[in-house]
Amino acid sequence: MNALDEVLARARSLVGRWEDEDCGTVTVKDFCRYAAALNDADYIERARKQEAAGAVVEAPALFLAATMSWEDGPPERELRPDGLATRESPCTEGLPVRQVHGGQTVRLLRAPVAGDRVTASRAVVSAERKQGRSGAFVLLGLTTRFTSADGTELTAVDETIVVREAIDSPGAT
Amino acid sequence: MNPPVAGDVCPAQHYTHSTVQLFRFSAVSWNSHRIHYDAEFAASEGFPDVVVQSTLHGETLTRYALAWAGPDSRLETVSWRNRTTAVAGEPLTWTATVREVEGARVSLDVAVVKADGTPCVTGTVELALV
Repeated sequence: MNALDEVLARARSLVGRWEDEDCGTVTVKDFCRYAAALNDADYIERARKQEAAGAVVEAPALFLAATMSWEDGPPERELRPDGLATRESPCTEGLPVRQVHGGQTVRLLRAPVAGDRVTASRAVVSAERKQGRSGAFVLLGLTTRFTSADGTELTAVDETIVVREAIDSPGAT
Repeated sequence: MNPPVAGDVCPAQHYTHSTVQLFRFSAVSWNSHRIHYDAEFAASEGFPDVVVQSTLHGETLTRYALAWAGPDSRLETVSWRNRTTAVAGEPLTWTATVREVEGARVSLDVAVVKADGTPCVTGTVELALV
């Protein structure tokens, strides 16, 4: 069995198995730092004024969707050689593969606001072997649903991850 | 802005992502994938420089669409497909065309393209004009 076959087998064993992750209570500072990384000074000014006035402060639209992980860790020694954590790299631990995002669909159902306690529920929903112009790959489908403490769905993300054999792998193309 | 109609072409937006921005976006989104901040590692995976995050492309698709639609607009859905990687410092252009207008909802066909016109990402943004 080569690395891609192993990825496929692992993924298919996980399909439909949902895992919850506590994202914690989101804050205006979280939102502003995210906006700062986008060079969005206007958001920061507006959010801080709203906060000072006691108004509700909504997160930047893709704040939840763009954050890759809400874990406390892991420490560097537990990262894979490519820098990803095991959780962010489902089905590929220890295998000579590389991966990139295929694409995403993000639906905003209710804007998260400062003070929301958020839970992310995530599952592998599909796994297929494909053949492209640059060789074989496995296409993983993942779904994440973000909900507030009262169960209101905030954001839904469907994404695909493309897994290929590592460039220096004997079977790589 | 006049009410949008299908076929309207939005003004293109030209920009680049710096290596500092890619690092900061990786940090704030807790994304430690080395292709985004370690040029030597990115080269080992066949990339000419550190790679723009897929989610940063998604932000760009969305933010310019919201800016075009004005302060009373709200994002409902954004969907995109990654086609070619973009790297730090590369001149990029956001393009958009109105696909459909239905009541207070507008959908745009959007893309981020390289200087030679090659699309990095293509997708759709759906906005509510509130």
